[in-house]
Amino acid sequence: MSSLEAVVQALRRSDTRSRALPYLIHAALGATIWVTAVLLAARVVPVETRFQLAELGIPVMLAAVGIAWIAQRPRPHVLMQLADLRLGLQERLSTAWERRAERGVMDDLLRQDALQHAQRDRLTQAFPLRINRKEAGVLAILAAAALTLAVLPNPMDQVLAQRQADRASQAKAASAISAVQKKIAASPKAAPVDPKVLKILSDAQQKITQAQDPRQALQAISPAEQQLQQLSDPQTPARTSTAQNLANALSATAAGNAAGQALNSSPSSGAQALRDLASQLQSLSPQERAQLANALAGAAQHAQDPAMAASLQSASAALSNGDVAAAAGALTDLAGQLDSLQGQQSNDQAIASAINGLEAARQGLAAQANSDAAGASSASASGGSSPTAAASAGNGNGTGNGSGNGNGGSGGTNGNGSSGSGSGAGSAAKPGERLYVPGQPVPGQVVNDPTPLGPGQDVPLTPYTQVVQAYQQAALDATNQSLIPGSERDLVRQYFSNLGESSP
Amino acid sequence: MITEEPRADPKKVTELANNLETELSRLIVGQKELLRDTVIALIAGGHILLEGVPGLGKTMLVRSLGQALDLSFSRIQFTPDLMPADIVGTNIIREDSGRREFEYQPGPIFAGLVLADEVNRATPKTQSALLEAMQERTVTVGTETRALPVPFFVLATQNPIELEGTYPLPEAQLDRFFFKVLVPFPSESELLEIARRTTGDKQPELHAVGDAGALVAAQHVAREVPIAEHVLRYAARLIMATHPNRTELDSVRRYVRYGASPRGLQTLVLAGKVRALLEGRYNVAFDDLAAVARPALRHRVFLQFEAEADGVATDQIIDEILEHVKKES
Repeated sequence: MSSLEAVVQALRRSDTRSRALPYLIHAALGATIWVTAVLLAARVVPVETRFQLAELGIPVMLAAVGIAWIAQRPRPHVLMQLADLRLGLQERLSTAWERRAERGVMDDLLRQDALQHAQRDRLTQAFPLRINRKEAGVLAILAAAALTLAVLPNPMDQVLAQRQADRASQAKAASAISAVQKKIAASPKAAPVDPKVLKILSDAQQKITQAQDPRQALQAISPAEQQLQQLSDPQTPARTSTAQNLANALSATAAGNAAGQALNSSPSSGAQALRDLASQLQSLSPQERAQLANALAGAAQHAQDPAMAASLQSASAALSNGDVAAAAGALTDLAGQLDSLQGQQSNDQAIASAINGLEAARQGLAAQANSDAAGASSASASGGSSPTAAASAGNGNGTGNGSGNGNGGSGGTNGNGSSGSGSGAGSAAKPGERLYVPGQPVPGQVVNDPTPLGPGQDVPLTPYTQVVQAYQQAALDATNQSLIPGSERDLVRQYFSNLGESSP
Repeated sequence: MITEEPRADPKKVTELANNLETELSRLIVGQKELLRDTVIALIAGGHILLEGVPGLGKTMLVRSLGQALDLSFSRIQFTPDLMPADIVGTNIIREDSGRREFEYQPGPIFAGLVLADEVNRATPKTQSALLEAMQERTVTVGTETRALPVPFFVLATQNPIELEGTYPLPEAQLDRFFFKVLVPFPSESELLEIARRTTGDKQPELHAVGDAGALVAAQHVAREVPIAEHVLRYAARLIMATHPNRTELDSVRRYVRYGASPRGLQTLVLAGKVRALLEGRYNVAFDDLAAVARPALRHRVFLQFEAEADGVATDQIIDEILEHVKKES
């Protein structure tokens, strides 16, 4: 290695040190700008991973500046030229480096002269450590700003907390549905459960998980419940009632007592007992047959299921006519119908479990949705008379006419209520219009006459916003206590949520 | 790559130049810049145009150079009636043993050092005879071409004040001078020293510090001084910057009529090489080029009338160019 190369190496080291500091400051400045920008943006837009995002900028900037630092490394002849200029070496080093391969008296003298001067001067002085004060000042200011932004409370934290709560409630709802799903799949059933039940639950769970907020997740529950209800056989209550009547009637007879008790236990046990009874008909006394025929006839009279009524009627008639074989056949048919009932009941149980699971999920989601709506309401209320809030303010206050019809539930071991339907229409209030509701009665006050409603009348009026929460609570309590389908409950909840969103 | 070895030790050239300067300064009072530029031009093998009022020691400088380098010296006073033959010589009829034949009588230009005093007083025809000899280093009389002695160094003078009845040198002729050196009027202390040295009983005698051979060898060595590529580019940028249509300098665009020729670049580089040797260096530096820029370019950059009206001198333009042209590669 020639001495000129040693000079280049020394200059290279010196230059590397000299450039490292400014580049480091460039990197720090870039990273600080990034962090500040992210923290500023996170105060306008909710960003959950703002700190991770801000931290990401640091290695990225370091890497980018590092690459630039390496890429802009000066070449040896540039180093020599810079050293010449900065150390006042009168272009000795650069000329000697350029002619390093040349041989001759003049070039030898030139090299000696250049090296002599290079040794005389401290080469490191060619590349001193320098800091751009302006850049360092900007860095300090930005760092302070970034630190302040990181420490100060972020208004978006509330939004983020709400989002987390939303997600937690959705996850909890999905988990509840999943638990029900597993429970249904794992529970021993006399008859296999309709796979559509599990499919509906699975779809609902997926929609809840993918929903953007609890309100949207709630929208997945009602359709799922309706689909489940459509899976249940509407004749099951009638058959169950018929089976119950039959059990009561058989229990009152000597020959059918065992079958009646078995039927009380379960339709499948009852079916087996009826088959046994059918095989024992030959051995029954005429009195026992007559008693059994009467019981079957009575059950047939009260039967709500036509098929079972027909079987009971034919069994009763055959026994009364002494046709044991026909009676046995009718009883066997009846046993088959009971087996079918057993399957239907198992399926309905699974559906009921599924609906219960969906309802549990609904409650959690509804509570979170209410909480979100209350938060939005308070936020918009605190917004006061801002132009945006005023412009978007509008309360729906309408009168609606609804009609509903439904089938009453049937009693028994497994009761089911069918759904009803209704419709309503109302006219929304104009934006900015102030709405009034009648004032609340003071405790102890005797209310004899209905208080007239409407502005401009001589009645005590209370601002709407002071009473809406009480009204909401009362309405929700009422819907929780009564046997109202979940979808209808959703309508009530949604109504109040909308009120909360649009309240001034 | 084959490199030609220098014909003399570069250190000896430095020594010769320094000795020459020292010896001349024994007789010439002050005028350090004049001495330095003269030595540079001498070693570079170029001619000098001196501009200054009479009585500043121009003749003494040339005479002293002849003594210090042991070179022949001649002085030609240029007048309007001076003919070319008076400079380059002529054929005369000579009778030898009854035979008459032409014999060439060499003119005063056949000397190692020639002082062409007040060169702008002669007619252009006579001027061109001298300038052709300066360029070609030969003279042709009749059909015969004769080489001038080596080394051959012309030091022409012109008076900047008395312009009546003069024939200013055209631009093409000026370009043939290596340097144009301004001879300033001495300072008071220098005047006193001149009086002391020249009015006393004893005159200082100069000793020869070299000879023609040493000077020619030095000229060869000077050309071997290396110049780095980025320094050479700087010299080229300086020349480019003197051209009004190739520069970004407003003053050049406004005041300069014509910029320096390629010969200006050659002069700049060669003079830079000699200066480097004189400074004891073996490479050309930016400072060398800057130091010789004025004498090398001032007679090659031609100003417009507007410059004269605004009192702008060529040296100011050159200084501005030096200030603005970047040294980085």
